Amino acid sequence: MNAQNTEKKPVVKRETKNRIRVDFDRSPLKDRLKARFLNFYFLSRIVIWIFRLVLMVGISYIVLYPFLTKIAGSVMAPEDFVDVTVRLIPKHFTLDIYRAIASELGYWTAFRNTFILSLLSAIIQTMICALIGYGFAKFKFKGRNIIFLLVILTMIIPHQTLRLSMYMEFRFFDVLGIVRLFKGGGIQFFGHNIKNLGAIAEQIDETTGEVIKEAKPGWFAGFFEKLDILKFTNPETGEKDNTLRLFKYYIERRGRLVPKYRMQFEFSEAGVNLTNTYIPMVLLSLGGLGFKNGLYIFLFRQFFRGIPDELEESAYIDGSGTFRTFVRIILPNSIPMLITVFLFSFCWQWTDEFYTNLFFPSDTVNMLVKLVGKIPNSLKTDYAGQELYYSAIRNTCGLMIIFPLVIIYAFLQRFLVQGIEQSGLAN
Amino acid sequence: MTTEMQQSEQVVSEKKKRRKIVSLDRRKARAGWFFILPFVIGFVIIYLPMMLESIQFSFSHLEIGSGTFTTTFVGFENYRKAFLEDPEYAQKLVSGLQRLAFDIPAIIIFSLFMAIMLNQKMVGRGVFRAIFFIPVILSTGIMESISAMDILNSYMEESGGIDDGSGTSAATQLVSSMDLERLFSNMKVGTEIVEYVTTAINNIYDIVNRSGVQMLIFLSGLQSISPAIYESCKIDGATAWETFWKITFPMITPMILVNAVYTVIDSFTSENNTVMAYISRIYSQAGGMELSAAMSWIYFMIVIAIVGVIAAVLSAFVFYQRKSD
Repeated sequence: MNAQNTEKKPVVKRETKNRIRVDFDRSPLKDRLKARFLNFYFLSRIVIWIFRLVLMVGISYIVLYPFLTKIAGSVMAPEDFVDVTVRLIPKHFTLDIYRAIASELGYWTAFRNTFILSLLSAIIQTMICALIGYGFAKFKFKGRNIIFLLVILTMIIPHQTLRLSMYMEFRFFDVLGIVRLFKGGGIQFFGHNIKNLGAIAEQIDETTGEVIKEAKPGWFAGFFEKLDILKFTNPETGEKDNTLRLFKYYIERRGRLVPKYRMQFEFSEAGVNLTNTYIPMVLLSLGGLGFKNGLYIFLFRQFFRGIPDELEESAYIDGSGTFRTFVRIILPNSIPMLITVFLFSFCWQWTDEFYTNLFFPSDTVNMLVKLVGKIPNSLKTDYAGQELYYSAIRNTCGLMIIFPLVIIYAFLQRFLVQGIEQSGLAN
Repeated sequence: MTTEMQQSEQVVSEKKKRRKIVSLDRRKARAGWFFILPFVIGFVIIYLPMMLESIQFSFSHLEIGSGTFTTTFVGFENYRKAFLEDPEYAQKLVSGLQRLAFDIPAIIIFSLFMAIMLNQKMVGRGVFRAIFFIPVILSTGIMESISAMDILNSYMEESGGIDDGSGTSAATQLVSSMDLERLFSNMKVGTEIVEYVTTAINNIYDIVNRSGVQMLIFLSGLQSISPAIYESCKIDGATAWETFWKITFPMITPMILVNAVYTVIDSFTSENNTVMAYISRIYSQAGGMELSAAMSWIYFMIVIAIVGVIAAVLSAFVFYQRKSD
């Protein structure tokens, strides 16, 4: 490179028998540094490095800035919102908003309810979607593509489209007409009511008005009336009625599982009222139909495709069944992906408004997303900066909702990229 | 004699073998059905009735009594109402679709760019990754609607002296100070592109927020490209630019298809989409339930047509590394 270097040959000296020493004239330090740092390659790398860093920091700033303003607003006192000199740094630091939301809006009850709902659906969804995704990824069977198209369909149809029918489905829940069957409201069989099968109509002698034959209910209905298992005695009033505190009953028999104050089913001719319980979400999750489950199935399918077939084949040769192979071999190898999907489904369920408002329409069951927009009584004011202050309260509410998620994310985020990275998405 | 015996034995054993293979295939098929059974049952028992009922609702008039509900068939009445009588629906539909057309390229280009950035080795990559995926986890659902109602954010933005503004306005300021528009127009690339770029920069917060999952999908796609290919490219003396267009881009095309479809689905099912918000508002009005069902089915038909077109067009350009099984 340097002309001087090539002209002068290095001097080789033999020091000992096995070692040599090479002496050559090095170019001066200044030249060497010049050659090293003042070339196009190095400079362009520096420029790219700086450009990249600026871009990264800039976008990080864009991402974090809204949270910053929310935090800043949440610790401001009402008078700070009318003060022109106050922008991001509060003059009167106070935690009043946090305190009021926690104590007056029932934050902790809502927290517990939301936690149970999210955890329940996240666990079920992760497991079920892993199962379904594995089925699509590793087995060939007729109709696989059609069923996968149906999965995509459930992803494409927005849940708002199904809002009304979903509400009806779970407000008057009645799978295949079973409830109606037991309640004696009529047994539907290909559109015909067959409740009165074998029934005998009342026969009256027209001239005398005498009853010749008494009316008898059909044997079929009589059979099911005997089987009327859904009519329990109300444990509080001791009366038989349609409203059944089934869950209280359940707890008395089976021990604690879920808070008892909420499980209250109403039976009517049209079906069971499942709203204000966790059951609709559990049922949807069990079918892989919950919030964004199509995406999870897709992610799992891609992930399992990346796992080499040899892994399972060796297990099959050792005599392991498909399900056991899945549980023992595949699942332990896909923990990052499981955690990724768990993280998604937990967090998305946690902040989801749609299903929460749909399945918990009553005010008796408090959920975190329902707190937003409510103003604690002690914070109600009517001064000039009212709108800004109420906006700050709403933001604080949002911050308190996502606070647990921040902690979870801090712990689990390294699995997020890891899980995705491992899925070889060649197709 | 003995050879015949042996031959017949062979035939028998071959037959046995063949039978065994068939049964293994069948067993695997059965196992496949077993694995996807939850979905099939859920779809048939819960989802399909809901879907059909929703379609039925969109064609009928609904009355909800206490404990029961009745429907009466009214034909295309609700659809007619949605298109002809409703003052805003058609208009919102058009503007919503325009927005969709704007969003898809912006989100895909941005997320691909960011995924490539995050895939490089650099200082603090883990931290940046953690920050970039924050919106995926935290800025969804309720946080989206809180942000939509948030007047405090814009208040903080007004340069009252201490802070000079949010990322959004800072980016705008940067653009205007660099006179990017004039730069572009000097480059003679047409005003549409200039407008597109400046609007994208103005909406950068929105785009960053919504490209999290896409970034993840691209990242996983980038990870699946074998490093050996890059190495051989380097040995052959390809520049980074060439490597991107000849290797990375073709290999990532399946992900572009997936992301395009996902972006369409995501942005049109999202709660802060104007059409969806309008449909939700109609739903909560008195007697608007059937109407909102009809409106969302119209919207669904349009979007599924868009998804179909996108999938058809893009799949012509998709490069598959190996034949899918």
